[in-house]
Amino acid sequence: MEDQEILAKFRDPTTRNVAFNQLVRKYQRPVYWHVRKMVVSHDDADDLTQDVFVKVWNHLDGFRQDASLYTWIYRIATNECLSWLKSKRRKFLLPLTDVTAELSAQLEADESLAGDEIELKLQKAILTLPDKQRLVFNLRYYDEMPYEQMAEVTGTSVGALKASYHHAVKKVEAFVTAS
Amino acid sequence: MNTPFNLDEHRRNRPRPTLAPPPERYFEQLPMRVMQRVQPTPAAASGWGWLAALTAPMRTALASAVVLGSFAAAFWLTPATPLTALGSDALARVPQEQLLSYLLTTDQRITLTDLAEVPGTAHATPASTYWQASPDELRDLLDEQPTDEGYL
Repeated sequence: MEDQEILAKFRDPTTRNVAFNQLVRKYQRPVYWHVRKMVVSHDDADDLTQDVFVKVWNHLDGFRQDASLYTWIYRIATNECLSWLKSKRRKFLLPLTDVTAELSAQLEADESLAGDEIELKLQKAILTLPDKQRLVFNLRYYDEMPYEQMAEVTGTSVGALKASYHHAVKKVEAFVTAS
Repeated sequence: MNTPFNLDEHRRNRPRPTLAPPPERYFEQLPMRVMQRVQPTPAAASGWGWLAALTAPMRTALASAVVLGSFAAAFWLTPATPLTALGSDALARVPQEQLLSYLLTTDQRITLTDLAEVPGTAHATPASTYWQASPDELRDLLDEQPTDEGYL
């Protein structure tokens, strides 16, 4: 079902639930993995993914279609992730390095990474990046999102995003080389 | 010396890193779980659901307004009792005998005229109230008194 059809059916109270169910089915995988890459743990990613779609439900009536539905949902997911990481540090009074260490420990417990030393090092290197830079790296490296769309999701200029990604790649390569 | 790591030469695991996949059938159940969260619960549909929709500061402000409103309503709806009425009621509950005893035993300069104005004392005199003697007994007592001819 196309986005425009989903939005039209969502505005009709008789087809609202059907349309939203279709929306969740269409975007659940990209949203889940976008969140999962930021928080690592499946349980946290599950909670946040649900929160993202609850927010989408609550605000979809006000969606002005300035951007695509995909971009708009990504923006909500991005803000949820950044807020979650920020509140996690504030709640437990954890410095950046402790949150990184906690996420790294979750990576080491991940069975899928067992035996793949280079991949584990790469994931740990990505976790050392500041949250917003890690987000930029994930959107570009894994999702291959165009810079223009990344600019809409993050509210940052294309030039700044290119510079951020360039620095992120250098940091990651240096970390893996050194470790 | 370590071999420099080049990200472009690394095998990319797109669109996701090599993390453990979610539990089996997770994506089949997720839409249903999301729908359960966005649908109004029976409690919310009973008429008080709008309370849950309010933010915490709004709920606090609403509770304060209700409490203050209750006090104000209780104040305005309670009938006001004048103090003079309260005094009259309290005085009415005191027995007349105690009242008279108080007035006569203290230096209140009460005259019989004053007492005549007190309800219930119009036909009573201190003599009839406190001497507790019949007219015959009084007459006998008077007869026993020595008479002074000079005053007759």
